[in-house]
Amino acid sequence: MTVETTARTYMINGPEPELWYRDLISCLQATIGSVLAREGVDPLSVLGAGWRFLHLPGDVRHEEFYYPCLPDESGAIDLGTALAPHHALHARWWQPADEQDVWREVRASLAEDRLVIAAVDNFHLPFRPAYGDVHAAHQVVIYGLDETRGVVYVSDAMPPAFRGAVPIEKFLRSWNSENPTDVQDAFFSDSRIGRRCLDVRLDAVPAPLTPELLGGFLRSDVEDFTTAGPVRTGLAGFDQFAAELLDRCRANDAGALRELYPFGWAMQAQASLHGELLRRCGREWRDPALAGAGRAVETVAHAWTGLRFTGAHGLGDPRAATLDIAHHATLLRSAYARAVDAVGAVAARL
Amino acid sequence: MWRNSFAAEYLPAGGSLVHVDGVPFEFPPVCEGPDNIRCAGQFIKVPRDRYDWIHVLAASERRCEDTVELTFADGSVDAEPLRVSDFWAAPAWFGEVRAFESLAMHYPHHVQRGVPAVMWAQRVAVTRRADLTGILLPRNVAMHIFAVTLQRTEL
Repeated sequence: MTVETTARTYMINGPEPELWYRDLISCLQATIGSVLAREGVDPLSVLGAGWRFLHLPGDVRHEEFYYPCLPDESGAIDLGTALAPHHALHARWWQPADEQDVWREVRASLAEDRLVIAAVDNFHLPFRPAYGDVHAAHQVVIYGLDETRGVVYVSDAMPPAFRGAVPIEKFLRSWNSENPTDVQDAFFSDSRIGRRCLDVRLDAVPAPLTPELLGGFLRSDVEDFTTAGPVRTGLAGFDQFAAELLDRCRANDAGALRELYPFGWAMQAQASLHGELLRRCGREWRDPALAGAGRAVETVAHAWTGLRFTGAHGLGDPRAATLDIAHHATLLRSAYARAVDAVGAVAARL
Repeated sequence: MWRNSFAAEYLPAGGSLVHVDGVPFEFPPVCEGPDNIRCAGQFIKVPRDRYDWIHVLAASERRCEDTVELTFADGSVDAEPLRVSDFWAAPAWFGEVRAFESLAMHYPHHVQRGVPAVMWAQRVAVTRRADLTGILLPRNVAMHIFAVTLQRTEL
């Protein structure tokens, strides 16, 4: 339980949130990783356990924390299920219900000793490099609120990394920003922030990761990669995504490259975490083939860099970038195929 | 892509001879003009000789790996991996040597503390026992090469 030190001061118990970070992840994984770490759960073992490909045409938002999610049978979107398909992780967006008291839910969460993940616009946050310069959608963790002193306590693991107090009025501007179109950041601007928050819950403590358990995860993921479905999943889904990307580049559609950067980051981050987890397990279990499979998955993450940045640099003339986009899509497809093969081989015997 | 850059005050003088982990490099000019190669399939002719290693000073916009194609005098060509870690506040993921670090990063409109920019010393193996004549860089705009040094085979 938190201690309510004054009527309007709320702070989580214990130490400040862990700054959980890897260089290929986005603020999405970093913030959820902080929440998991505070629950006493190893973030890598949850966020790195699954590895999928999913592209949803028309769905990409211009936000650093975009991640493709399929709705469940009821039509509900659960970001946690997409990020961690093998764990009981749930993450759902919410917004304050009362325009006259936008902090009500935040107070309630902090009073329950729960962190709050909030969407923000970097332009208004003094600790972000983009402060006063570039509009860009980002996510941070709120771990305290002191309405008497007029500050929000914010944690952000993304470089330059920050933990501390931010004036409420600045935070409110960031949290409620229109995040208007900004020519300096075509990828993460033009997406209204709208005081969104992400509620993240882990319903069950993960079972200790064993070769048998991991083997089940891997077999499920390999099946997803190798089975064509009604939506763009797996290797077949990648092929559809790449073919459409090239068609749009040939048509000089800059929107295709604006979408590629945030979408690619989602896929890149996931591959990097999954690869790292497999390498770690391979080392701990003295299984060099598993470690090698992890490295193959990391190669997928590294190949996303080539595609994402070729697209970003080609934004001004998509048609001219088509050949290089095709080149990197081919390299990435090859990396996916090799990694699926390597993971499939170890999954069959774990 | 974001028009970020190293702060010159944290780097060696332009044109100077620097040693990184025992490897000499001629540091590129430090100026307002071009000071690195953004990899786009350029071909670098090299003095024909036997080499064991190609050492590079490099940076990457995010962690990246690609291939360079090594051209030999006998007509053979080998593709070898070039792996470069992110220059933006990141560890040496590929086991490179941290050659130079700018403790501040230059953004288009301000100087940012707390986000170091790193130039890595990486190497590419020349496994073929033949005379090397050239290096074809990858078509990968995320990768930037600042200097190249060839290490001859010890006979």
